[in-house]
Amino acid sequence: MDLFLQQVANGLVIGSTYAVVAIGFALAFTVLRVINFAHPDIFMVGMFTGLVAATQYPVVGVGLVMLAGMLGAGAVGFVLERTVIAPLRGRDVLMTLIGTLGVAIMLQNGMALIAGPDPVAFPSLLPRRSIDIGPVALTLRQIANFAICLLLLALVSFYVRGTSYGRATRAIAERPDVAAAFGVNVGRICQFTILLASLMAGAAAVSVGMLYGSASAFVGLLYGLKAFICMLVAGNRYFEGVMVVAIAIGIIEALVTGYLSSSLRDAVAFFVMIGVLYYRPNGLFGSYSS
Amino acid sequence: MSALLEVEDLAVSYGAVPAVEGVSLAIAAGEIRVILGANGAGKTTIIKSLLGLLRPRRGAIRFEGKTDLLRLKPHEIHRLGVAWVPEGRQLWNTLTVMDNLRLGGFGQKDDTRVERQIRLMLERFPRLGERQDQIAGSLSGGEQQMVAIARALISQPRLLLMDEPSLGLAPLVVRDVFQLVREINAAGIAVLMVEQNARQALKVADWAYLLATGRIVESGPAAEIAGKESVQVVFLGGHA
Repeated sequence: MDLFLQQVANGLVIGSTYAVVAIGFALAFTVLRVINFAHPDIFMVGMFTGLVAATQYPVVGVGLVMLAGMLGAGAVGFVLERTVIAPLRGRDVLMTLIGTLGVAIMLQNGMALIAGPDPVAFPSLLPRRSIDIGPVALTLRQIANFAICLLLLALVSFYVRGTSYGRATRAIAERPDVAAAFGVNVGRICQFTILLASLMAGAAAVSVGMLYGSASAFVGLLYGLKAFICMLVAGNRYFEGVMVVAIAIGIIEALVTGYLSSSLRDAVAFFVMIGVLYYRPNGLFGSYSS
Repeated sequence: MSALLEVEDLAVSYGAVPAVEGVSLAIAAGEIRVILGANGAGKTTIIKSLLGLLRPRRGAIRFEGKTDLLRLKPHEIHRLGVAWVPEGRQLWNTLTVMDNLRLGGFGQKDDTRVERQIRLMLERFPRLGERQDQIAGSLSGGEQQMVAIARALISQPRLLLMDEPSLGLAPLVVRDVFQLVREINAAGIAVLMVEQNARQALKVADWAYLLATGRIVESGPAAEIAGKESVQVVFLGGHA
């Protein structure tokens, strides 16, 4: 039982990270109808800008390192939207897919050129301490990661449900033409959506860097794949659905690691996807028809 | 006539397929005008061009004699006071009734005016008041049409474009909808409507255009058009 609870807690921590990346994917796909394959690498850029801030200016503290990560990721997201996504949006979905994939490859290899292809150490920034909550032991960094990701998810949820811009965002997701005819500046909201997703990815990336103590130019690959799967499994109708699925996949992965084998861990998401899509091709919570 | 909206020689194509060819029409403040035509005649194409949702191949669209709508984006056209009741309602089905109405006032400068308009609409349509927290997709067809009309009126438009407002509704509801068109018009809003239900539409309209395969084939005062034999045969089901 203790192992079970411990693995559920570990799963919550990693699942919340998947959720932040997945929600960035889902925002782009649901609102802009764009599969933004560069999103995981925006996450990666955020991790490295955070790393630079943390190593160059060791006294700045966690908050400012996170801000650096957000700025780095946000800047790349902003430029990507202006130069690749905005000009291609509204055409065939393959256009933006290929365009963003190209940017993803550039970012990965560009970073590998600068930082080298191998993982580099990420400063821990937080004290190495373990905290016991009942039978579960979590490190301070795990708890921080979980809290940061949960906060980001709560902010997104509040934005789309509780603000007039968020309402317009959901309106574009369902009927872009009607939203435009009712006074919503679709281009502006799309721009903001990509920026928001990128800023979140940057914050989560710094948190993940601290959690594992390493950063790599290719860290985006696995996160991107899993985030993409979370979106497919949940369907794109409810952002909260994507969050729930991401956290569930994190927990299942942790349980598989604990009870079966850690080498099976990365296959979990694929099994879940095949199983769910076989029975519910539109995802667990439904999708907008395009 | 000093026109609120003027369309001149409009031509729209979908790829190589022409949908609308050389259409000219106009509507003055306070009028109700209707464009009658069968499925595929190009009615919705005209409406979407006016809204800025389609880019015409040729032609001019002027608002109040000066503003060239073809140079504006849809949200900028909305800001001039043009609102839309789309074909088949096209509500935001995953949002609540209240959210649909609030979005009708999106981008309006004066929040209290929007709130007041929403309150007015909920008084005018008490059924929507009861269902304001329901998901719009769960309402009946008639209720959805009321939401679609109320949503378009929140911004207090000067011109209302209605695309087949009677489509798919029960006969009693259709009567209500046309009654509502009169009421909206009495409040000083010009209504440009496209319809297949010629009999009802001709009763409320001041002026009618007949559209066939993308061209206007007849136009005149609604009462006159209703009396024409060609109209009787095509739209009103035989001789009167």
